[in-house]
Amino acid sequence: MTPSTLALLSLFVPLGAAVLLGLLGPLRRTGRPAAFVSVAGALVALAGAVAILAGGDAALKPGAHLVWGWLSAGPATAVGIHVDGTSAWMLLVVTLVATCVQIYSLGYLHDEPPAALGRYFTYQSLFLFAMNTLVLAPNLLQAFLGWELVGLVSYLLIGFYFRKPSAAKAAVKAFWVTKFADLGFLIGLVTLYAKTGAFEWTAVTPVAGFVTLMLFFAVMGKSAQFPLHIWLPDAMEGPTPVSALLHAATMVAAGVFLIVRAEPLFAQAPMTREIMAYVGGFTALFAACIAVVQTDIKKVLAYSTCSQLGYMVTALGAGDTFAGYFHLSTHAFFKALLFLGAGSLIHAVHSNELKDMGGLFKKMPFSGAVFIIGAVALAGVPPFAGFFSKDLILEAVEHHHLYVPLAALAIAAFLTAFYMTRTVMMALFGAPSHAAEHAHEPGIDMKLPLGVLALLAIVAGFGGSWLAGLTGHEYAFHFTLVGGAGTAIGLLGIATGFWMFGPAQGGAPIKRGMAPVGVFIRYGLMDRLSTVAYGLMLAVGAIIAWIDRYVIDGVMNWSGWILLVGGRRLRGLQTGNVQDYVYAVALGIVVLGAWGILR
Amino acid sequence: MTDHILALTVAAPFVAALLMLLVPGRNHPVLRVIGVTGSVLSLVGAIYVALHYDQAKGGLQFAQNYPFVPSFGIDIRLAADGWSVALFLLTGIIMTAGSLASATLTNRPKEFYILLLVLVSGVFGVFVCQDLFVFFLFYEIAVLPMYLLIGIWGSKGKVAPAGPFKSLWKDLDVGGKEYAAMKLTLMLLVGSAAILVGMLAMYFAMGGKSFDMVAMAHFKFPREMQVWVFPMLWLGFGSLAGVFPFHTWSPDGHAAAPTAVSMLHAGVLMKLGAFGVMRVGMILLPEGAATWAPIVGAVAALNVIYGAVSAMAQKDLKYVIAYSSVSHMGVVMLGAATLDPDGWNGAIYQMFAHGIMTGLFFALVGLIYERAHSRWVPGMGGFAKVMPGVAAFFTLAGLSSLGMPGSAGFVAEFLVFAGAWKSGHLMWAIPAMIGAWVTAVYVLRATKMIFWGEGPSHEFHDLHDAKRVEWAALWILGTCIVAFGCAPRLVLDFIGKATSEYLPAIVDAAHLVAMGGGK
Repeated sequence: MTPSTLALLSLFVPLGAAVLLGLLGPLRRTGRPAAFVSVAGALVALAGAVAILAGGDAALKPGAHLVWGWLSAGPATAVGIHVDGTSAWMLLVVTLVATCVQIYSLGYLHDEPPAALGRYFTYQSLFLFAMNTLVLAPNLLQAFLGWELVGLVSYLLIGFYFRKPSAAKAAVKAFWVTKFADLGFLIGLVTLYAKTGAFEWTAVTPVAGFVTLMLFFAVMGKSAQFPLHIWLPDAMEGPTPVSALLHAATMVAAGVFLIVRAEPLFAQAPMTREIMAYVGGFTALFAACIAVVQTDIKKVLAYSTCSQLGYMVTALGAGDTFAGYFHLSTHAFFKALLFLGAGSLIHAVHSNELKDMGGLFKKMPFSGAVFIIGAVALAGVPPFAGFFSKDLILEAVEHHHLYVPLAALAIAAFLTAFYMTRTVMMALFGAPSHAAEHAHEPGIDMKLPLGVLALLAIVAGFGGSWLAGLTGHEYAFHFTLVGGAGTAIGLLGIATGFWMFGPAQGGAPIKRGMAPVGVFIRYGLMDRLSTVAYGLMLAVGAIIAWIDRYVIDGVMNWSGWILLVGGRRLRGLQTGNVQDYVYAVALGIVVLGAWGILR
Repeated sequence: MTDHILALTVAAPFVAALLMLLVPGRNHPVLRVIGVTGSVLSLVGAIYVALHYDQAKGGLQFAQNYPFVPSFGIDIRLAADGWSVALFLLTGIIMTAGSLASATLTNRPKEFYILLLVLVSGVFGVFVCQDLFVFFLFYEIAVLPMYLLIGIWGSKGKVAPAGPFKSLWKDLDVGGKEYAAMKLTLMLLVGSAAILVGMLAMYFAMGGKSFDMVAMAHFKFPREMQVWVFPMLWLGFGSLAGVFPFHTWSPDGHAAAPTAVSMLHAGVLMKLGAFGVMRVGMILLPEGAATWAPIVGAVAALNVIYGAVSAMAQKDLKYVIAYSSVSHMGVVMLGAATLDPDGWNGAIYQMFAHGIMTGLFFALVGLIYERAHSRWVPGMGGFAKVMPGVAAFFTLAGLSSLGMPGSAGFVAEFLVFAGAWKSGHLMWAIPAMIGAWVTAVYVLRATKMIFWGEGPSHEFHDLHDAKRVEWAALWILGTCIVAFGCAPRLVLDFIGKATSEYLPAIVDAAHLVAMGGGK
C-alpha cells in the first residue's frame, strides 16, 4: 500500500471506532468489549504508521499530498493528508504512545463501571483521530481543525470524572484558557487567508511575522507556556493515562509540532523566533522551580512537562527545528513512561501524594525500575534518550548566541535532575507509608506498555541521525563543551537531590526553603490572576445584562407605556357630550379667526 | 407536478392546517399525525428542490407565476436560488423536529398545530418568493401567529422590577406571557411598518407597475432614495433578526414561548429578518447597502459581543439561549455587512447552522424544563447522571454554538471572520471572535452547572432521559450539526452559487459609493 493509503487508514480507523462506540450505545456500555474496539483501532493506526516508515524514506520525499476541497472546490480551502518524514514520524509517536496508553488503561481503569469505561475509550479513539488530523494536515486550515478537536477531547477527558467538582472545574478551565489562546490561531489563519488566499505554511508573505506571532500565541496556550500554562496543572484531574497521553506526550506537544510543521513561515519571522526563545527559556526555568516544591507526584510531572515544552520552544526559537522535534519525540516516550509509572504507583497506594508513597521500590521493583529509567532519561543522564535531545538543544541555543535563555535552560537542567531525584527518593525509597504496606505490582496489561516505553526511553536517543535523515536535517552526535556542561549540571542536580532526600535523610521533609517561593508563584499569583479575570468577566456580564434588561428594554417598555397612557388621556376627549363638542368648534373658530387676522 | 414543487412545499403545511380543521380537537393522535405529516412533506419537498436544483446553471429555478392582483402588478412569483435551497432545507428540518418535539403537547394541540403550520408556510414562502408584495405578505403570515402561540401556550418568566423604569412593571405585567407576546408582536409590527414604507417607495420609484424583485434588482434606484430606504429595511427586517437595540423582544419572547415555538422562532423566524436585509435591502438597494454597510457591520459586531456577555450573566436557562441567539444573529449580520463572498456565504451558512443548533438547544431546554420544572440554572447540577443523552446533545449544541470544528457552527463563523478580515474590517472581526470565545465561557459554564458536579438534589425527583419520540428531534438536529459541519459543501455550494450571482453588482455599487461618484 502507498503511504497515503496507510495514512488514511491510520486516520480513519480510529474515527470508525469512535463513531461506532459513539452511536452504538449498547456496545459502548458493555465496557471491556468497547475498549477492545478502541484498542484494535489504535493497533491498526499504529500498524499503518509503522508500515509507512518501513516503506523507506524514498517514498516520503518529497511527501505524498492528497487533498479534497472542503469549503469550496479547489485546493485553497482543502482538507486531506500530507505524508512526509515529519508527519510520518509524528504519526508513529502518537499512535505508539496512544496504543500503550490504551492498553495500560485496560488495567488502570479496571474498576470503572462499564458505561464509564466505554465512554472513556470512545474519547480515546476520538482523540487519536483528532491528533492524526492535526499531524497529517496538508495545510494550516486542517491543522486548526485537529488543533481544536484535540482541545475538545482534552476537555472531555479531564472532565471524565465529571461528578467531581474539581474535575469539572479543571475541564472548563483548560478549555477556556486554550480556546482563548486559539483566538491567536484563528487570527493568524484568517490573516494568512486574506493575504495569500490559501492556508499553506509554505507561503512566502510579508505578513509572516504577524501570522507566526499569532500562531505562537496559540502555541503558548496548547503547549502550556508562561503565562498561559495555568490550565495544565489543573488538568491532572483527569485519569493518569490521559495525563500521560494528552497532557504530556502528544497533545501539549502539538504546539511544538505546529511550529515544526510551519517552519517555512517561522523562518521568515526572526522576531517571533526571538520571542519564542525567551518565553520558552523562562517557562523552562519557572516551571522547574515550581516542580521542586510539589507534593503531588502528578503535579511534579505536570510542571516538568511545562518545563520541557519550554526547552522545545526555546530550541525552535533558536531556529533549530530538528532539536525541538527530536526532544519532542524523546520526551513523548520518557514522559509517557513517567506518567504511566506514576499511575502504577498511584494505583497501588490510591493516592497522588508523595507522602503516601515511600519505600515502594521493594514492593514494586518493576514499576520502580521503569520509573527510574524515565527519571534519568528526563534528567539527561547519558546514554538515555533525554540526554541526546537536551544536549542538542543546549548546543543550538548556544550556537545562536541566546545566552539568557541558555542560562535559564542550564539552571532548569539542574532543577530537573534535582526534582526527579527528589521524587524518586520520596516515592520509591525511604520509610514506607501506611498505604504503601499493601502495594503490589500491576497486571501484565499495565506492565507491557511500561516495558515498551522504558525500552524506548533507553534507546530512542540513538535514533537521532536516522530521524534527522528522515526529516531532511543533518545530525550526528558529537561532544561539545556546552553539552558536556549541561550533563555535568544534571549529574550535580542528581547528587544534590540524593544528598537532600537520599537514604541519609530517611523520609525527608517535603518542603524546604524553596517552598514558599513556589507556593507563592503557583497559588498566590497565577491562580489568583485567572480567578480575578474570570470574576471580572462575570461582573461585566452582570452589568451589561442589567443595562439590557432595565435600561434598554426599559426604554422599549417606556415607549409602549407612553402610547398606552397617551391613548388613555386622549380617550378623555371623546366625552360624548354635545356641549363639549360645540365648545371645541367655537374655540376652533376663534383660533382660526385670530390666526387669519394676525397673519 | 414537479414544476410546481415550490408551491407544493409552501402549501403542504397550510393544507395540513386546513385538514386539521376537520378533525375534532380531542382526537390528539390524528392531529399529531397530520401535523407531523405536513411537516415531513415540506421537508421532502425541500430535499427534492436541493436534489434537482441545477448547480451548474445556477440562477432562479423552478420558476412559476401565479397571478394574484394583476391590476397592481402583484403576482405570486415563486423561484428558488441557491440561498433558497439552503434555507428551505433548514425550515424543513426545523419544522419536522419541532412538530416531533411538540408531540407530547396536550393543551389544545389542534389550534397549536394549525398556527404552527400556517406560520411555517409563511416562512417557506418568504424564502422562495420573488415578488416583493407577496414576500411581505408571507413575512407577516410567519410573524403574526407568534402572538397567539406565545400568548396561549407560553409560560411566565421571572423578572424582578428594578432600574429607572421600575414603576412601569405593574402596568405592563412585565415577565408575563401576554406581555412577552404583546411586546414581540408590537416591536415586529413597527418593523413591518418601516418595511412597508420602504417597499412602497421602491414600487412607486419604479413607476408603480410591478413588485417583481428580479426587475427591481435590475432597476437603478436614485442614490438619495436608496440611502434613506435602506435603513428602513435594515431596521424593519433587523428587528426580527435581533439587531441591537431592537432585540429586547427576543429574550422575553423566547423565554415565554413553548418549546416548538422557540425552536421555530429562533431557528427560522429570526433568519427571515436577516434574509430580508440581504435579499431585499442589499440586493435591491446596492448603493444604499454600500453606504450603510459600515454601520450595519459595527452594530452587528456589537450584537455579537453584547449578546454573548449578556448571556453570561443569565440564570434562567431559556434566557441564556435567547441571548446567545442575539449574539449569533450578530454574526449573520456581520457577514452580510462585509460585502465579501466569504462573508456572505458565512452569513447564510450561519443562518443555517444557527437555526439547527438553536433548534436543538430549545428542544433540550424544553425537555429539561418539563422534567425539572425549573429553568433556574444555579439550582441544577449533576443532571448528566440521570439524563446522559440530553447531556450529550446539549454539549453537542454548545460545541456548535462556540464554533468547534466538526460542527456546522465552525464553518459559518470561520467564513464570516475570514470575510470580515478580507474586507479589511478588523474592528468588526476581533470583537466577533472574542464574542465567540465568550460563547465558550457561558455555554460550558451552563453545561457544567446543569449536568456536571454532584447531584441532582432530591427536589428533582422525576428527572429521566429523553424517551421514544423525543429522541427523534434530538437525533435529527444533532446529526445535521455534525453532518453539515464535516461536509459543509452539501449546502455551501448552493449558497456560494447564489452569492456569486448577487454580490458583484453590490461590490460595483460599493466602489461607486467609495469614489463618491456615479450618481
